[in-house]
Amino acid sequence: MTTTRRCLNCITPPYILKKLLESGEEEIRQAALNTLISTAQLRGERAVRASFAGSAAAPANGRRTIFDCRNSRFLPQATLVRSESDPPVADASANRAFDAIGATRDFYKKVFDRNSIDNRGMRLQGYVHFATNYNNAFWDGQQLVFGDGDGRVFTDFTGSCEVIAHEFAHGVTEHTAGLDYHNQSGALNESLSDVFGVMVKQWTLHQRAAEADWLIGADVFTPNIKADALRSMKAPGTAYDNKLLGKDPQPDHMSHYVKLPDTEQGDMGGVHVNSGIPNRAFYLTAMGIGGYAWDAPGHIWYESLKASSPQTQFQEFADTTYLKAGQLYGAGSAEQQAVLAAWNEVGIRVSGVPGGAEALRVPVLAGRGDGLVHDGTPIPALIRQIEALAAQVNALAEGLSVLTPKP
Amino acid sequence: MKVTLATHGGQAAAINLRLPPRVVDAEALPQEAARELARLVEAAKTTQAVKEDGPGQARDALSYTITVEDVDRSTVLTQSDTTMSPAFAALLTWLERRLAME
Ligand SMILES: [Zn+2]
Repeated sequence: MTTTRRCLNCITPPYILKKLLESGEEEIRQAALNTLISTAQLRGERAVRASFAGSAAAPANGRRTIFDCRNSRFLPQATLVRSESDPPVADASANRAFDAIGATRDFYKKVFDRNSIDNRGMRLQGYVHFATNYNNAFWDGQQLVFGDGDGRVFTDFTGSCEVIAHEFAHGVTEHTAGLDYHNQSGALNESLSDVFGVMVKQWTLHQRAAEADWLIGADVFTPNIKADALRSMKAPGTAYDNKLLGKDPQPDHMSHYVKLPDTEQGDMGGVHVNSGIPNRAFYLTAMGIGGYAWDAPGHIWYESLKASSPQTQFQEFADTTYLKAGQLYGAGSAEQQAVLAAWNEVGIRVSGVPGGAEALRVPVLAGRGDGLVHDGTPIPALIRQIEALAAQVNALAEGLSVLTPKP
Repeated sequence: MKVTLATHGGQAAAINLRLPPRVVDAEALPQEAARELARLVEAAKTTQAVKEDGPGQARDALSYTITVEDVDRSTVLTQSDTTMSPAFAALLTWLERRLAME
């Protein structure tokens, strides 16, 4: 039975079910319900019901603990300052880390039904005041670490919620695709942290894609530094341009991909530089689809992250997002067209798409013309989601019949 | 003796790529500070990083290259936030404090 359960968890998209079953529109609720009920094989299948019930009622895991490094570089020397059930403490950095880690954990739970970094409720440990004048934040493989900044160029790194969520996302990537931190797979690793980091920020602010600034690290610089942020997903290469920092070197197109040595000195092949390309592809997808980035665009990227492997390169990831968009929202759907157009605009042509150029003539960037909109999503799109769901339920039933021991 | 510090990687990796390494010239230091620097350099040279395979599973961690140039030879030490030895950390902290004073 264990095998069956694992299989169920990897193919059921609980967020679609939940969204549709919770819909305020009777028509949509009924359609979702019918889809489930009409699949005869599923009726009475206890494992399936348990899986759905479990995902809806899982306890809020991922308890937080914040430690104060007191300027040490060695984490074992840090002291505990705030645990999950503690009220706010005097240290503002500790409270900011606590809050942003909590918001990120809740985002993954509510939007993707993911239980903490490892999807098994892993404890979340944040370390503040790392070293002295430390201009950085990092994920050490198990915990999140934040510096205070030097106060001259950089300020406290707990001040940018998307930076905290960026580090959290590195943990998620390690527990899913495990993308190698070198060259393209590394730049993809970096990009996914920016993508999920920016979604947490927009989700917290309840911003639509078109309303957001799409900046990463908008608050890490001191007021005397003329810079917008560390990176811009909307316009890579424009986050800063001044004498002290130089000009933002991020490319926004494959034709400007920056070749750097795969060494620590070369940022492992420019993982923080070339992430600009997939970053912009996500931004363009979100703008093409419209609404909230964490809805369809986020789900397409999350499913693609889970379907990727350590060696995944830009091309393969682009192909996967196209495939996942088709599986989730239907072949030829507006969502899939937006994904195709986005990658095309950054110089990556999705493989095996017949008549790619013609397909792109569909005006995906224009507003919706059908007028039928439910909760930010047009009804035809929801119906396509239901159809995609039905296909998955059928596949699930087939999977079950193979796995169920024959009498 | 000249000691050069370069920082790589991290959230601001794209900025660190362009920043020139910073230099501490022992000749220009007060005698006591120069002696302290020489002692820290010797200790860092003779102790290894906790792990020798670079930052490993860490993401966005900083790496530091400290180059020590003597009259007759130069030594390059590279260690990162998650793997550095206490002796390397002591040298790094000393250098950063010194450079911040400039
Ligand atoms: Zn990162």
